Amino acid sequence: MTGKPYRLPESAGAGRLTDRAKPVSFTFDGKKMTGFAGDSLASAVMANGQRLLGRSFKYHRPRGLVGLGSEEPNALVGVGEGARHEPNLRATQVELYDGMVAVSQNRWPSLGFDVGAFNNRLSRLFPSGFYYKTFMWPRSFWKTIYEPTIRHAAGLGKAPTGRDPDTYEQLHVHCEVLVIGGGVTGLAAAEAAASTGARVIIADENPRFGGLADIAGGKIDGRPQTDWAALRVQQLAKADNVHVLARTTVAGHFHHNYLLLFERLADHDPQLIADGVPRHRLWKVRANQVVVAAGAIERPIAFANNDRPGVLLASAARGLVERYGVAPGLMGVLFTNNDDAYRTALRLKEAGVGIACIVDVRQQVDGALAEAARAAGFEVMSGHAIAGIETDIGGKAISAVKVAPYSSGQGRVINEEKIECDFVAMSGGWNPAVHLWCHNGGKLKFDDSLQTFVPARHSDAISIAGAANGRMSVGECIAEGYAAGEAAAKAVMSKAKAVRMKPPSTEQEAEKRLEPIWFAPATGKYNEGNKHFIDFQNDVTAADLELAQREGYESVEHTKRYTTLGMATDQGKTSNVNGLGVVSQATGRVIPEIGTTTFRPPYTPISMGSIAGTSVGKLFLPVRKTPVFSWHEAEQANFEPVGEWRRPYCYPKMNEDRQAAVNREIMVVREGVGLLDASTLGKIEIKGPDAAALLDRVYTNTFSTLKIGKGRYGLMMNEMGFLMDDGVTVRLADDHFLMHTTSGGADRIAAWLEEWLQTEWMELRVFVTPVTEQWAQFAVAGPKAREVLQALGGDIDFSADGLSFMSMAEGRVGGYPVRVFRISFSGELSYEIAAPANFGRGLWDSLLKAGEPFGIKAYGTEALHVLRAEKGFIVIGDETDGTVTPLDVGLDWAVSKKKTDYIGKRSLEQSYLKAPNRKQLVGLYTEDPNEVLPDGAYAVEKVTDKPPMKMIGQVTSTYWSPTLKRSIAMALIEDGRNRMGEMLLFPLAGKVVKAQIVDPVFYDKQGARQNV
Amino acid sequence: MLLIRCPVCGVKGEEGDFHAGGQAHVRRPATSDPVNITDEQHRDYLFLRHNPKGLHFERWRCDRGCGKWFHAARDTVTLDFKAYYKIDELPPVELMRQATGYWAEHFAPHLKATKAKKPVAKRNARVRS
Amino acid sequence: MSEPQFESPLSGPASRTDRAKLAVDISEVSDRGMIDLRGELSDRKFAAAAKKVLGIDLPVKPRTSTTHGDLSILWLSVDQWLVCCPRAKIQDVLGELREALTDIHSLAVDLSDARAIIRLQGNGAREILMKGAPVNLLSTEIVAGTVRRLRYGEIAAMVHIVDERPDTIDLYIFRSYAEFAWDWLVETGRRAAAIRLFGQQDPPVV
Ligand SMILES: [Zn+2]
Repeated sequence: MTGKPYRLPESAGAGRLTDRAKPVSFTFDGKKMTGFAGDSLASAVMANGQRLLGRSFKYHRPRGLVGLGSEEPNALVGVGEGARHEPNLRATQVELYDGMVAVSQNRWPSLGFDVGAFNNRLSRLFPSGFYYKTFMWPRSFWKTIYEPTIRHAAGLGKAPTGRDPDTYEQLHVHCEVLVIGGGVTGLAAAEAAASTGARVIIADENPRFGGLADIAGGKIDGRPQTDWAALRVQQLAKADNVHVLARTTVAGHFHHNYLLLFERLADHDPQLIADGVPRHRLWKVRANQVVVAAGAIERPIAFANNDRPGVLLASAARGLVERYGVAPGLMGVLFTNNDDAYRTALRLKEAGVGIACIVDVRQQVDGALAEAARAAGFEVMSGHAIAGIETDIGGKAISAVKVAPYSSGQGRVINEEKIECDFVAMSGGWNPAVHLWCHNGGKLKFDDSLQTFVPARHSDAISIAGAANGRMSVGECIAEGYAAGEAAAKAVMSKAKAVRMKPPSTEQEAEKRLEPIWFAPATGKYNEGNKHFIDFQNDVTAADLELAQREGYESVEHTKRYTTLGMATDQGKTSNVNGLGVVSQATGRVIPEIGTTTFRPPYTPISMGSIAGTSVGKLFLPVRKTPVFSWHEAEQANFEPVGEWRRPYCYPKMNEDRQAAVNREIMVVREGVGLLDASTLGKIEIKGPDAAALLDRVYTNTFSTLKIGKGRYGLMMNEMGFLMDDGVTVRLADDHFLMHTTSGGADRIAAWLEEWLQTEWMELRVFVTPVTEQWAQFAVAGPKAREVLQALGGDIDFSADGLSFMSMAEGRVGGYPVRVFRISFSGELSYEIAAPANFGRGLWDSLLKAGEPFGIKAYGTEALHVLRAEKGFIVIGDETDGTVTPLDVGLDWAVSKKKTDYIGKRSLEQSYLKAPNRKQLVGLYTEDPNEVLPDGAYAVEKVTDKPPMKMIGQVTSTYWSPTLKRSIAMALIEDGRNRMGEMLLFPLAGKVVKAQIVDPVFYDKQGARQNV
Repeated sequence: MLLIRCPVCGVKGEEGDFHAGGQAHVRRPATSDPVNITDEQHRDYLFLRHNPKGLHFERWRCDRGCGKWFHAARDTVTLDFKAYYKIDELPPVELMRQATGYWAEHFAPHLKATKAKKPVAKRNARVRS
Repeated sequence: MSEPQFESPLSGPASRTDRAKLAVDISEVSDRGMIDLRGELSDRKFAAAAKKVLGIDLPVKPRTSTTHGDLSILWLSVDQWLVCCPRAKIQDVLGELREALTDIHSLAVDLSDARAIIRLQGNGAREILMKGAPVNLLSTEIVAGTVRRLRYGEIAAMVHIVDERPDTIDLYIFRSYAEFAWDWLVETGRRAAAIRLFGQQDPPVV
C-alpha cells in the first residue's frame, strides 16, 4: 500500500494551496517524507503513499483520514520533540513546515504492528459499559492490576517531557460584534457589521479564510467563490474597526457573551518561535453581539467496517484534491444519500482520480448534479448501499466494497456485488456546526429536509447564519450573513447608519432532498466481524448504542455516558446526529423525541500553555516584597510565604541549620537586641466623629476610653463569636486612630470595616484608609533596644517615662521621619519603628549600624513565633481556626461586659459557646523536655490498642524554647483550664508522648521584662 | 462570567472585579435592639438564606471601581441582571411585584406603603427591610 | 546623622531591564507625591476647602482627573481622591489641606510611598495592559485624563491616561507588588509579542 503515488501531477490542475516549487521535508513516525509548502500534515503523509495515520482509542484499529479540518476524529498526531512535543493535534489542521517531526498515537510499539490491536479481537469482551462491568472484583486488583494496565493502554498521546520553553499569553478584548467563522457567511456578516462603524472581530480556525468556498461549487457574480471571499478579507483587514484573526478557534461561548478565542501564532513556523513570538494567545473576548457562522460538517454513514483507512468523507476527498493535489486513493467508490457528494465525483474525475461507481441509497436520483455525473460517464447505482468492505490482512487497506440493493428500513442484505476500489468517499448529508450556539444554552430543532438539528432560539445576544443555520446554498448564506451582521451592529450602534448590503448574484446547482440512512445493513450479523462505527474517536459502534438501549439507558444523556458517544475531544462533531439516528431506529422513536445532547466547550482542545498565559515561573502568583526584601535576599534568608508576602523565616549563618539559626536569633532578642522586618503588618487609618464608636462596635473591648498617644490590644470577632483578627490600635487624635491588623488580615479587615460602615451603620461618619503599604515597620526588641534607638539620635525621648509601655511618638530618628510604638510581641523591651516605605531600607541600614556595638542581629518569623509562644501570646490562625472564641483562649479580660452591642456579642451568649467542655487554651510540658510534639498532635486521656480513641484536643503551637532549654507547646484541650497539672497522652506513629498541662505563659509571667 | 454594572460609579466590569456579598436586605437584629434578640431571630440572621430559582436580590461590592456596596436583582436561571440599586434602597416597585416566595412576603409591607404613596426609599435614609 | 537614604520601589528592577526589547518604553515615576483624600461631597465646606488649597475643583465625574500646573487630582471614588504633586511639595500641600479641613469630616493621608508608578509610552501601550487587565482600554470613553482602577495581572492597579497619540499611561500599583507588575510588563511588552488591535492588518489568504 505504501509508496503509491497519491500526489497528482501538476497537470491535474489541483492543489491550489500547495507550492510545488517549495519542497518541505519532515518525518512521520521516524520515516523521512517530503511534502510541499501549503500542505497539511495529513495531505503530505498521504502524498507519500501512507494512508494509515493512527490507531483508535479502545480497539487500536488502524485508522486513516476521515475529515478535512477540525472535525477529524482519527488522525490525531503529536508534533515536535521533547519539551516542545504537543500531542492530540488533528493532522488535517497541522500546517507542514520544513523539519517537522510528527508521530502517530495510540499505538505500541509501532503504527503498523500494534499490540493493543489485540483488543479488537477481544472486542466481544469490550461491550459498552465495559469499564463499569468488568473491573469490579476483586477489589485489591484495582490498584495493582486494573488501573496500571488501563492507564498504560488508555490516554491520548504522550505528554511533553520537560518544561515548555515557549511563551504564551492572554489578551482581554471588547468588540461590538464577534463573527465566528470566515467562510462566505461570516465574511458577509463582518462586512455588513463593519459598515456601520462597529468594532468587529472575525475569527476562523483555519490559516485561510473562505471556509468551503473552494469546494462548494457555484459562483458569485459569475466568478469563483474564492475571488469574492478574497476581496472581502482584504477590505476587512484594511478597515480600522475590524480585526481579522486566522488560525484562531472560538473555543467557548459563556455567559453575557464572554468568549474564549484560541489563537495559534507560531505553530506553523519554527522561525517565529525562535524569534520569541508567543506560541499561542488566548483571547478573552466580551462581545455585545455574536454571529455564529461556523459552517457545517459532513456526516459519515454507518456501514460495516466504515472505519478502515481509505474511507473518508466526500468533502475531505474533494478538499484533498482541490487544496493539496493529493488523491485519496487510486480508485474509489462514492457512497451517498444526497446530491452534494456528486460534486466530489465530478471534481475527482476532473483531476484524474478514478471513481468506479456512485452508490446512492435513494431509489430515485435525478438532480442536476446527478445528471451531470451521468453525463460525465459515471455509473450511478441508485437504491444501493455498501454492505461491507474487503481489506488486506490487518485491515490497513481496502481492496473492494460489497454493494447491495437497499431500501429504507431494510434489515438484511441480498444479492451483494463486489466492486474493486481502494477508497470510499461517503456522505450522509451535512450537520450545521451548532456547537458554539449550544455552549451557553442555545436551543435546537429538528429539520426534516436536512435530517439534522438546526438552531431554534437563544436567550443571549447571539445569532447564527449560513450553513450553521441550515442554509446550504451560497446565495442563502451570503444573504443571511449580511442580514445577521447588519442586525447585530444595529443592536449595538444606536446611531448606526444602516448601509444595506446588496447581495451579489450567485449561481449554484439546485439540490434534491436527501434520504436519511442511519445504518447500512451488512452481510451476516453485523456484530460478528463487522463494526458500524458511529464515533470513530471513542470507538462507539451502532451495536454499542443498541446494547445501551436494551440495557435501559434510554435517555440520550445516559446513552452518551454509558457508551461515551460524543464524549471524545472532537465532542461528537461527526458522530452525534448519526448516534441519535441509530437510537431512533433501535427504539422506534423519532429523533426530535430523543433530543440531542449537550455540546461543551472547548470546540477543539486548547493548549495548557494558553490557559496559563503569562502566569508561569516568577509570574505564577503575585509576590509582595517589603522595602527591605533585597537585604533579606542578600543575607540569604530562608523565606516563608505569609499570604502573598515572602517573609524571612530565619537567617542561617555558615554551617548553621534552620533550627540553630532560630535558636540563636531568639537568644539575641532575649539577651541583647534583635531587628525584625514587620512591614507586612496591616495598618489602617480611621478618622471621623464616630471613629471611636466604630471601634467599640468591631472590637470586643473598649477603645472610646483610650487616651491620645496610647495604644491598646484589641480582639475582633465575627458575628458567630469566633476570633478573626487582633492587633494594637493607637489613638492619634480624638477622632483619629491607627489600627494594626495581622499581616494576613490587612486587606480583609479594611474591607470588613468598609462593609459595616456602608451597609449596616450608615449613620456613622467615619473614613477608613488602608496605609499598610506606606510604611516600613521594624521591631527593635531586646534589653538593649533603647540604647540602640538612643544611639541613632533624634528628637524622640526613649526613656522609660518619656515613652512608656503602649505609647507612641512621632518625630525623627537617625534623620528619618518616624512613628514609634512601644509595644511588645516578644515580652522584651521593644519598639516598633515605622518610616515611609521609600526610607525603609535606609532606616534599616542605620539601625543595623547603630546597633552594631550592641550586637544587633536580624531575626525572622520563626524566632518571632517562638518568642511570643514563650510568653503565651496567641497567633490568629495558629491558636484559632475560625471556631475559637476569645473565652476559649483565655482572653476574657478583653471582652467587654459593659458595651451593649459589638460584633459577635450576641453569639457569645449562646449556650454552646459557653459550654464547660469547650476546648480551652493551655500550655504543655512534655515529660521528656527534649521531645517536641508535632504540630496538630491529638491529645487523649487513654490510649487503646487501636483506633478509635477519644480525642480531647490538639496541639496548636509547638517549639523548642532555647530560653527555657526545653520544649513548649500550646494546645486547645477540653475543659483544659480545670485540668492544670494533668498528664495527657499524645499517640504518635510508633510511640506515645506524655505531656503535662501547664499555664500557657511559660516565661516572665509578671511581664517585668517589657516594663523597663 | 457575568458582566456587572455598578449603580454608584457606573463602571461596567467583569464579575471578578466585583465581590459577591450574598442575599440582600438581611436585617441585623442587634443594630435596632441589642438586648432582646431571641435565639430564633439570631439563627435567622446568621444562617438562614434563600436560594430561589428565578428572581433574587443580592449584595455586591464594586471592588475595582468605587469600592462601594450596592444591590442587584438577578435572575438565577438566565443570570440576567434585572436592576441595580443603591445599598440604602429597595428594588424598583415592578420587581418587588414580580418577586415570589420569600421575597414576595418580604416586600409585601413595602408595596403596601407604595400604594399609600409613601416614599419607598429615601437617599441617605436607612432602609429597614 | 546623615541624609536619609531614599530608595524607590523599582530602582533595582528598572536598572536590570533591557528596554530595547520592549515594544513601548517603560520607566518608573518616583518623584511624585500622593495624598489620599477622603471627604463628603454633600458637605459643601469640604469641596470648597479642598479647592482653596489645591486651586482646582475635585473631579466629581467618575474616572476623571483634573490638572493644574504641577498638581493633579485623580478620582478614586465618590468620596476619595488621589492628589498628586511633586514629592518635594507633599508636606506643604498636606499641611495646608489638613489646616483647611480642620473641623470638616475628612481624612487626608500621605501615601506617597504606598504606590509605585510605571509610565508606559508609545503606541500599543493599551494593548500591552490589556494582556493583564480585563478592561476595554480601547474604549472611546478612555481618553486623556481618564483614571481607571482595574485588576492587572491579578493585582489591584490603576491606570491614568496622561496623554494620547502616542499614549502616555501611568500604571499605579501598590508598592509591595511593584516588582511583580514590572516583570509582568516586561514579559507582555516584548516586541516579539506586540499586537495592535483593530487596524491595518495583513489579510489572511483565502
Ligand atoms: Zn462603583
